Parts: sequence; structure tokens; C-alpha cells
Amino acid sequence: MKTTTYIEAITEAMAEEMARDERVFLIGEDIGLYGGVFKATKGLQERFGVDRVIDSPISEAYIVGGSVGAAMVGMRPIPEIQFADFITPSMDQIIQQAAKIRYRTGGQWTCPMTVRVCCGGDVGGGLYHSQINEQWFFSQPGLVVLFPSTPYDAKGLLKSAVRGEDPVIYFEHKRLYRSIKEDLPEEDFTVPIGKAAVRREGKDITIVAYGLMAHRSIDAAKALENEGISAEIIDMRTLLPWDRETIYESIKKTSRAVLVQENTKTGGVMAEVSASITEDLFDYLDAPVTRVCGLDVPMLPFAPPLEHFFLPNADKIVKAVKKVMEY
Amino acid sequence: MAANQTVNKPSLKQISLSEETLMGLYTSLLRVRLLDERLRKLFRQGRFAGTYFSAVGQEATTVGPTYGLRDEDIIGPSHREIGAAVTKGLTFNEIIAQVFARSTSPDKGKSHPCHYGSRPKGVIHPASTVAGQTVVATGCAMAFKIQKKDNVAVAFFGEGATSRGGWHEALNYAGVHKLPIIYICQNNMWAESVPSTLQAGIDRFADRAKAYGFPGVTIDGNDIVEVYKTASEAIARARAGQGPTLIECLTYRWYGHSEIDPANYRRPEELEEWKKKDPVVRAEQLMIDLGLLTNEKREAMVEQITAEIEDAIKFAEASKYSEPEEAYLDVYSEKIPVRREES
Repeated sequence: MKTTTYIEAITEAMAEEMARDERVFLIGEDIGLYGGVFKATKGLQERFGVDRVIDSPISEAYIVGGSVGAAMVGMRPIPEIQFADFITPSMDQIIQQAAKIRYRTGGQWTCPMTVRVCCGGDVGGGLYHSQINEQWFFSQPGLVVLFPSTPYDAKGLLKSAVRGEDPVIYFEHKRLYRSIKEDLPEEDFTVPIGKAAVRREGKDITIVAYGLMAHRSIDAAKALENEGISAEIIDMRTLLPWDRETIYESIKKTSRAVLVQENTKTGGVMAEVSASITEDLFDYLDAPVTRVCGLDVPMLPFAPPLEHFFLPNADKIVKAVKKVMEY
Repeated sequence: MAANQTVNKPSLKQISLSEETLMGLYTSLLRVRLLDERLRKLFRQGRFAGTYFSAVGQEATTVGPTYGLRDEDIIGPSHREIGAAVTKGLTFNEIIAQVFARSTSPDKGKSHPCHYGSRPKGVIHPASTVAGQTVVATGCAMAFKIQKKDNVAVAFFGEGATSRGGWHEALNYAGVHKLPIIYICQNNMWAESVPSTLQAGIDRFADRAKAYGFPGVTIDGNDIVEVYKTASEAIARARAGQGPTLIECLTYRWYGHSEIDPANYRRPEELEEWKKKDPVVRAEQLMIDLGLLTNEKREAMVEQITAEIEDAIKFAEASKYSEPEEAYLDVYSEKIPVRREES
């Protein structure tokens, strides 16, 4: 076992996959010489060379579109989008090419590519270095969308993505990079795509979250425990396709659900989860399915009081849970 | 120069192409022209749905760069590249089944009538966002370089596509890394209804290559010999690791952007002038002048190709549509199930 931070887990996953499979290569802005703005690719160009760790021009459309083409002819690219805020120039390539290449060619061409997207707020990043934008990809069949919250999942899911046959949008939360660590096995392991994790068992209410909000929800559950409320925490980990089974099983047991999402509320991942729960589990519910989300304003205002006002936190989750419990 | 203006008959030596190559190029041109004209009529007769993008008038720009490529070389086409699809080896059955959206089509009826492609033949089925495949094909070339293979990629697009941001990002990257790719710009003077003068502040789209550090040339896109030779040189350079080339082929589309577009934004005289420069007629005249073709032989070729097309139409019309549940397939690899609605 080795104590590993979230960002080290990502670096190790890439290094191990590159050593295992010569088809794997990295392309992105500042990832080579500089080792990445957050140092996720530190040391990899020295180790694997400039052909496999490519410092791209500032060209997100090419970083992703070029990776799509490379994946189609036998490579396993891991393009990096330095900040999720800057993913917009590559949307055409993600939505029209990566997500649909298998479908529009009757399965002839495929795109085994893993787009790493550095994302998330609560870092004082302001309006253009805090976005996530996961909901844009969540609504695109053909894509796999992953969002790990722990070093174990960060490493195991990244490996599953690289070894898979589908285009993956892999969100990594920059607030988690160095704030959490855990002991990881020395031997090779993967985490299955499409399976949520029960982070904490409970009997009174189900809290569903992902990314940074999985940690905020665990904090809330600890506080609620002191007040005699037993909350079960489910970390989605894979957003698309999301694990209905695990979430539904929990709600059938607790009959109550609070859904937590860092991003803006309208049209978000939890809107879909909420609608599905209501559609499929109406008879099991004892209270309205309730969301705790970022505000419906552009993500994310810069000044600290505004940033904190925007973001969900443990207090806001506790408050929502109590309201649902009192229904 | 129009065929009927030819005074001095050319010789094979002057052209420096083999009889076999010339006949191959001409045969491809003829096959593409006859197929394209037939498909236009089928659409206008309501025999298939959607729309149809004819490339009649532009055949030399797609046949020339494609003829002589290997199966492993990749083509990133747009929606008007039936000539590249045919020349790269897609069968009439595949193409017409695609147009009719049947289960026997390579895409099983999922994409669009004109989005021809084939993985075994190295043709990427296009998406409709303009210049999309230019970016993807550049990525294929990037992979070939990493893999140390001498394959090349060929990207086809109209002059209108050169206004797209992704197009510039791709060419810039190809220039930095000297990728094995050939960019074929079919300047047919009209991006749907917008003239090329409103598309760019330069006269020659090939000049765009200067900004990316590789050669750009403008050629007569209706002269199959010139297109083939220019493209072949560029392909040889790319295979040898000497980087990309942008080839601007001056040409003209005879019909509307699609068959529902009457193209009445153009002057009729403009079309008449370009019809005199018909790439198929010019190739035919050349072949006759070289003694490689007679009217009788041409008629026999037309008859044989027409029969092949009619057989393929029968094949397509006799093919079934995919079952509705086919809509659930090819979304992901087998490992990732697609949720099905309760029926």
C-alpha cells in the first residue's frame, strides 16, 4: 500500500498505462516540458518522449479532434483540457465526431479516447477557471462520462477508460487534487465503469452526489448522525451511463432522497436523476426528491462571499435533509 | 482549356503517365459521373428520402487525389465526395444502399444519404459540420507519424470550410509537426449560396498554407491529369516525411448545394462557361487524342457501368430497412449497455 493523492493517482494511472500499452499517448497544453499547470503529467515527457507526451498549440478543437482521428486508426489518446472552461472550442469534435462516430458508421469506426478535463470550484478560480460543464456531455449518448472523487477511483476509472473502446469525458476536480489521499494497492487494479459506490450506509435518507460534493455529503452525514439521522451516501462516479440500480436500491430502503450537485441546478445531472426517481419509484417515496445545487447563475463568481454563496456545502445539505425528514 | 480548343494532340510521353493510369482515372471519372447523375434523378423521382448532394462537375478533384492511394491511407471527406468514395473502392451496392438508408448500407441506415464511408477502405463516414473531418483526418496523420508508418491522410473540403476555426487549428498543427496529410480544397466558388469573394479576403485559398509553413498550390481542378500529378507529388512528399500540402482545385458544381436548391443565386452564364470545362469530357477527349479510347469503347463502358448501377439500385430497393430496434445498436461498445424504453 502506498499513500497517494488524487492527482498522483491520475499521474500514476497514465504512466502505468503508457508503460503497458505503446498506443497510449498524451496531448494537451503545457503538459510536456512544464508537466501540466497542476503537474498531473509531471515527468511523463522525460520518461516517454516528445512523441507520446505532446505539447499542443492552444487548439482545443485540434487537441480533441486530432485525438479522435488518432483513436480511429489504432491509438489510445488521452487529450487534456487544461480547464473545463476551455472545452467549448472542442465541442464540435466531442459531440459530432467522438460521440457519434460508432453510431453513424454502423459500428465500423470507433473512438477509444479519454478526454481528461480539469474542473471545479471552491478554489477561488473565478468565472473562467471554475466551471465543470458536465451536463453538456451527460446528455450525449455515445459518450461515457466519469467523475471520480477518491484517489482509488481516479486511478481505477482512468485505467478502465483507457482500456475501454468508447470515448470518455473524464472529469477531475482540482479542489481534490491535493486535499485528499488514501492508501492504494501496489498492484494493478481498475474500477468498473457504470457502477456507483455506497460511501456510507444509512437507513433514513439517501444522499446522491459526485465529485467534490461526495465529500461535502459525507461531512453532512457526519453532522446528521449527531442529530440521530442516518444518511446513506451514494457517489455516482460514472455519470453516463449512470447506475440506476444502486441508487434505486438505496431509495427503496430509505424512501427519501436528496441529490447534491456543484453545478447550476437547471438542466443538470440531478434533474435527470430526480425525474427518473419520481418516474420509477413514486410508490416508494415518503417525501419530494430534493436537490441541493449551485445557483442558476453563471458558474462561478469570483469574490469569496459570492463563490461561497453559489456553492453547495455541508450546512446546505444538512438543512435540505432535515426539511425532507420533516416532510 | 476546353477540349474542342485542343490543336496539337498530346502524346503519352508529354503526359508521362502510363496507359493503365490514364484509363483507370478516366474509368473512375465516368463511373462517378454516371452514378451521380443517376442518383440525382432517383432523388427527384422521390425514390429516396432526405436530400442529395451532387458533385457533378467536380469529379476530377476527388478522383485525382484518391486514385492510387492504398487501403490503409485514410480519407476524411465531406458530403460532396462521392468521387473519393467510389475511387477508394466503395461498391455501388454500398453507396446506393446508403442512399436508400437500408440495412445493407455500411451505416445500416443511421446517418445520411450522402455520408459514404468504409473502414476497410479507409474512408471516414462524414459528419455534416463543415471541416469536421479535416480535423479528424489530421489526427489520423498524427497517428501515422507516431506509429512510424508511411500511410497518408487526405482531407477533402470546399473553400467555405477554410473559414472554420477547427480547420485552421488542424492545418497549424500539421505544419508544426510536418504531418503526412494532403489537404484538397475544392474551390467551386460557392459555399452553398455565399460566393468565395465573401468567404475570404484573399484571391487564392492556397495562400492560406503560407501561414502554416507548408506549400499551397492552385491548379485547374477540372484537369484530371494536373490534379492527379499534383496530388501524387504531394502524397510522395507526405510519405517521405516532408509534410503537408494544400492543393486548391478550381472547379464548379453544376447543380445546387443539394437537390432542393435551385441555385438561382448564380448567373446562368457562369454555369455555361464552366460546362465547357467539363472534366469528364476533357478526359475523354484526351483519351481519344492519345488513341486510348474510341466512341465504341466509350459506349461499351457506359453500357457496362449503367448496368452495374441498375443492378445496385435493384439490390438496394430489394434490401430491407433495419429493424426499428437497430436504433439502439452501435451507441457504445458491448461493455456499455444502452437503456431501452419499455415497449
